[in-house]
Amino acid sequence: MWEQIGAGLINALQPFNLFLAIAGLTGGIIIGALPGLTATMGVALMVPLTFAMDPASGLIMLGAIYSGAIYGGSNSAILINTPGTPSAVATTFDGWPMCRAGKADEALNTSLIASAFGGLVGTLFLLFLAAPLARLALKFGAPEFFWLCIFGLSTIAAMSTGNVFKGLVSGALGLLVSTIGLDPIEGVPRFTFGYYPLVQGIEVIPAMIGLFSFSQVINLVGSRQKYIADYKPNPGAFMRVVRKLWKDCKMILTRSSIIGTIVGILPGAGGEIASIIAYNESKRWDKNPSRYGTGIVEGLASSESANNATIGGSLIPMLCLGIPGSAVAAVMMGALLVHGITPGFKIFTDSGNLAYTFITSLLLVNVLMVLVGSILIKGTARVLNVPTSYIGVAVVALSIIGSYAIRNSMLDVMIMIFFGLVGYFGSRIGLDTGAMALGIILGPIAEENLAKSLALAGADGSVFKVFFTSPISLILIILTVLSVITSWLLSRRRGGDVKEAVESGRA
Amino acid sequence: MTGKRKLFTLLLAGIMVFLVAISAGCGQKQSGSSSSELNYPTKPVNMIIAFTAGGSSDVQARLMQKYWDKLVDQPWVFQYKPGAGGAIGFAEIARAKPDGYTIGGVNVPHIVLQPLGQNAQYSIDDFEYICQVVNDPQVLAVRKDSKFKSVKEVLDYAKENPGKLKVGIVGTFTGHHLMLLELQDKTGIKVTQVVYKGAADQNAALLGGEIDVMIGNVNDVMRSLEQMRILAVASEERSKFLPDVPTFKEEGIDIVSDIRRGFVVPKGTDPRVVQFLRDTFKKIAEDPEYLKDMEKAGQPAEYMSGEEFEKYVREQNEKARELLTKFGLLKS
Repeated sequence: MWEQIGAGLINALQPFNLFLAIAGLTGGIIIGALPGLTATMGVALMVPLTFAMDPASGLIMLGAIYSGAIYGGSNSAILINTPGTPSAVATTFDGWPMCRAGKADEALNTSLIASAFGGLVGTLFLLFLAAPLARLALKFGAPEFFWLCIFGLSTIAAMSTGNVFKGLVSGALGLLVSTIGLDPIEGVPRFTFGYYPLVQGIEVIPAMIGLFSFSQVINLVGSRQKYIADYKPNPGAFMRVVRKLWKDCKMILTRSSIIGTIVGILPGAGGEIASIIAYNESKRWDKNPSRYGTGIVEGLASSESANNATIGGSLIPMLCLGIPGSAVAAVMMGALLVHGITPGFKIFTDSGNLAYTFITSLLLVNVLMVLVGSILIKGTARVLNVPTSYIGVAVVALSIIGSYAIRNSMLDVMIMIFFGLVGYFGSRIGLDTGAMALGIILGPIAEENLAKSLALAGADGSVFKVFFTSPISLILIILTVLSVITSWLLSRRRGGDVKEAVESGRA
Repeated sequence: MTGKRKLFTLLLAGIMVFLVAISAGCGQKQSGSSSSELNYPTKPVNMIIAFTAGGSSDVQARLMQKYWDKLVDQPWVFQYKPGAGGAIGFAEIARAKPDGYTIGGVNVPHIVLQPLGQNAQYSIDDFEYICQVVNDPQVLAVRKDSKFKSVKEVLDYAKENPGKLKVGIVGTFTGHHLMLLELQDKTGIKVTQVVYKGAADQNAALLGGEIDVMIGNVNDVMRSLEQMRILAVASEERSKFLPDVPTFKEEGIDIVSDIRRGFVVPKGTDPRVVQFLRDTFKKIAEDPEYLKDMEKAGQPAEYMSGEEFEKYVREQNEKARELLTKFGLLKS
């Protein structure tokens, strides 16, 4: 194995492959940073190019784009409070406050280092534990997925400490929105109000672009601020961040990266879920959870390391079982198949050279990312020196193009604008856009798996057995209960103001 | 500072112009010519794919494009209109201007089932059929270590334990769904149907033991032959990808069920254009190089002329209508 890793590394270090890795990273980071253009889109656009390359070089380029795009999403999340990709939603929670406090350089460097760290951890799991983890992923069935979604939804309680009622209402609205379209089990249209195009449902990405980007533009335009935030270049930021992460965040980075890898392995759950779960876990275990959301390095490091760790995770079932763990992994599998390479446990022996070249190149990509990223940061941070009016125009244009490009559908543009207004006006009456987004993302997965579990329970003759007996389900149930209880205890400790908030929520 | 700011604004503006230019490139200007001489195509032809970029339908069309470009001067411009299992894109083809500059990929039985079961906004009468290019038969698959060694054992178990056998399918009102209905109808068994969103989750569920049996397609199960056993294939003859697997007919069950891909233009397109397209596609579909490419990509190629394809679609429509009526799933 070590020999193959060595040979793979030598292959990955060939000048042409290195060039592809750097070009892929640069392109990926830019695509990721532009709100509306996602990792899936970037990788899918480049697949035809790989047909003309040898398979290893093609995969290296796609892997670099994937890694770059997932990291790149944090740039716009931090600088303009607009997640560049859906997996950067949790990055806005602490990234944006840091930027507003004039610490943009620290925030950008934190996300860069955390992303590279998460990417490395995910890839190491892919390198050394791919086969056993792929087998473990198969144990994750419909009931387990259902409980994972419930656990994810329970984090609403943790997220909106102090105003749980509004958080719950927002989450429920998100769930309701997610039921529009074709029923996943019966295949009949729901809540289309006689307007046929709605059968395609509310696509998550346009809704998120609306909630987070478009509403933010309205805010900016209405704020009369000439610039988004004060920005002074801060030369020593990189080393300061490295020292801070080493001193305080070892645990957070490791835990978040492992969460990211595991969520990445599961088909259908990706960076957008991993980053939110990791963020909330960091918050839960912190001595002083209330500092999360005020602009701290720890929060940023959690979400950014988790979403990049999903990359290695999502490739595990793709390479071992031919079952992609994310939409991007699915596109990459298509590229593999065109070259006549069949995924499977045997890929590590039959096409070992290719597999190890690809995986070691991913390690290399994450190291190179720190270099490429630090150069790009110098440019992206300058966004803060651009007057808000220009930023507003640019974000509106990108939001429209990005929403349209998901399915080439004008309906998605309307959905994006609609959710932009919901986000803008909603936040004035206490709507929690994070909770709502969580509802929209997790709703369809929760519903589909609930229905599947019920069908399975019908065949087994016992609802209890299906939902409550598997060890993974039990762990998730316990985590859910803990998640609700800890946030309840926390809010009790702070007593009075919570009660008040709930009262005003009802009013 | 201001200089830099200007530079950046300029750069930003440049990027935007570039992006707008890209997106504008998709919408072609229409300039209808009504001369009696067939002068076609004089501009790029839109190719509507009702699924995502990089999916099976896209890969197949891209393979064809390579050969189209050798025969015709004007390229295809791909437009992806995914959503609602293809219903959005198919409707888009049906509604397009019938000037020959919109071709679309369709799947059967999708275009039959969606109007019948889901009030889709098109019908099979909205198209002129160019040809069929792929026939991907359905298969019945189990885990490698499953106790079921043949279709008969599966059916026997299902008969003795009504509702106990868990069968995974992808989507409702799909080829898989139709085949499961047909199987239950023809053999009198009753099973628990578990609906998955895509082949990936379904394959994982089979390997993880959540379901006992699944209905898949040759194109998908080819990747997992290490971990799966294919019990039977629902085609007239054995698949060349799976030469050792018997057909359902050999096993004594009269079921032929598959997913087919073909190309259509909107109803009302100039018959001479339709003829031109039928001839061109035939040339491509019979090119040995193209067939080699298809095999490499795991796409089971099967050509059928436009007339035959239309006849086939209408037969499937009757068959599906009957089955859906029997199971109370008919909408219109």
